[in-house]
Amino acid sequence: MPAVSVDHLAKSYQGTEAVRDVAFEVNEGEVFALLGPNGAGKTTIIEILEGFRKRDHGHVVVLGYDPADAATSRQLRERMGVVLQELAVEPFLSVRQALTRNAGYYPNPRSVDEVLELVGLAEKADDRVKSLSGGQQRRLDLGLGIVGNPDLLFLDEPTTGFDPSARRGAWEVVRALTGGGTTVVLTTHYMDEAEALADRVAVINAGRIVAEGAPESLGGRDVGESTIRFRLPAGAASTLPVPATVLNNGVYEIKTDKEIEVLAALTNWALRENVEVVGLTVERLTLEDVYLRLTGFQSDGETSLAIGNM
Amino acid sequence: MGGQNPSRRFRGVGDLKLAARQVYYEQLNFWLNPIGAVFTVGFSVVFLVLVGSTAGHQHSSAIGGALLIGYYVPGFIAYGVMAACFNMLTINLVVRREMGLLKRVRLSPLPTWAMMAAVSVNALIISAVQVVLVLLIGRFGYNVPFPHNLPALVVVLVVGAASFTALGLGVSTLIPNQEAGAPVTSIVFFVLLFLSGLWFPLAANSGLAKFSSYLPVRHMIVAVYDASIAQKGVSSWPWHDLFVMAIWGVGAVLVAARRWSWAPRQARRGRARGFSSFAMKSRHRPA
Repeated sequence: MPAVSVDHLAKSYQGTEAVRDVAFEVNEGEVFALLGPNGAGKTTIIEILEGFRKRDHGHVVVLGYDPADAATSRQLRERMGVVLQELAVEPFLSVRQALTRNAGYYPNPRSVDEVLELVGLAEKADDRVKSLSGGQQRRLDLGLGIVGNPDLLFLDEPTTGFDPSARRGAWEVVRALTGGGTTVVLTTHYMDEAEALADRVAVINAGRIVAEGAPESLGGRDVGESTIRFRLPAGAASTLPVPATVLNNGVYEIKTDKEIEVLAALTNWALRENVEVVGLTVERLTLEDVYLRLTGFQSDGETSLAIGNM
Repeated sequence: MGGQNPSRRFRGVGDLKLAARQVYYEQLNFWLNPIGAVFTVGFSVVFLVLVGSTAGHQHSSAIGGALLIGYYVPGFIAYGVMAACFNMLTINLVVRREMGLLKRVRLSPLPTWAMMAAVSVNALIISAVQVVLVLLIGRFGYNVPFPHNLPALVVVLVVGAASFTALGLGVSTLIPNQEAGAPVTSIVFFVLLFLSGLWFPLAANSGLAKFSSYLPVRHMIVAVYDASIAQKGVSSWPWHDLFVMAIWGVGAVLVAARRWSWAPRQARRGRARGFSSFAMKSRHRPA
């Protein structure tokens, strides 16, 4: 049974459709990312899964429960953990007090010391929450999310506002958790975060899922065209065996979906003619390229809907 | 499944312990904040000593020529309850809502009733501490006898605490953001205290007394006074004042039930900025 199952999910706010006919499943132990720009509907979806917001239409099952069913909401909450976008801890409690209090809400919590270790706050255990740095407070937030030993963890933009090293630290915690079998549903607008953590990504734009798949194959980036770039000595280009475009900075560029053949022709030619090919690179679409295309930031005038149907 | 009784929402003794534990952490959070503790508990004591030492020995015609200190002791008992149950609670709830703390509690397995009970009992404990302090200072510092109808005083304090807790819940839903929480609540509270005669007793037929009789603060002060100080021709069971406070309390509960929000009312500044920069980029993209 999947940990999360969503079908035909829809939600409107005052006539504006925030979520439109969304469907996905998250398997047990999987890390699933909802990737999209601000206002795309990620937080609305995650709040519906958490049981914080009511859906208008559709079918949602989380850990076997309907999150909108008040009769089972407490059972669901005992098995899920939540990390919110806001820093939300009483400032005058110590780190240990805050964790101990929240651990008491759950039937089968993690030990507070284990959580302190996991989120790297062991030395700060007896410090007041208000004395922590921003990054440390967010790590405490993460600690509060996992102290109940959840089967399913919701991370709503878990590293927004983190510096690069704090982000890597948070990712390590998430990886350590998923190693233990915790299912994670996260929202993010960082491509590298989705790529670093997620087994599967759904790209959301304007309330719809416009693409879904493993980060490495999303939007066909594993089979799409590559970009080959290189420099040539003056005058050498006249006998170039493959058509190339010259960019403003003198770099030659070839876009092709047959990169092996093009590279073979290019390197054979270079060896035969004794031409020095400088700075040769081969690049696939980055996740960011795919994401920007899917969310409608392309400059060629395509609409996001047309791409969503591909 | 973790719960012992998955089919039942209330789990008996275990849940009562959970609520008691929550009260403990509410108390911890209150007393660990020195400014909060001083401004709430300290004020009733400091005010009593200040007005008691300067004006306490004077007689006032508004209270039948009795000593003013005999008015101030019940007055600051009423103040202590209102400060904890209304002023502190309102600010607290607005700050917690806007910080996202209420949302986090809502998403935890802690039952809503346990959270509500804990914040109310917390306010009640802080009220009780002030009531005892004010009574002791009045008795041993200024020779004011202990309240002459103790059962009536207890009823007044319980009904008053419940009504002002309800008002705290209700008014917190009317305050849109964290910045406004403390100033708006405190200014309204202190103006009401002034109009209701906390600092100087109001003559019964004065315009101010008539005006403030529509508001709950006046009734709390008068009710505590009537239960504490014996007066000729005045019952020590102030049913009318209790009734008016209860009406305000019920009204406030209705407002709270209609307008209650677990989520912050105001978008976070950082988030709002992020959204507008996205919207700006969107406008630049070709149609």
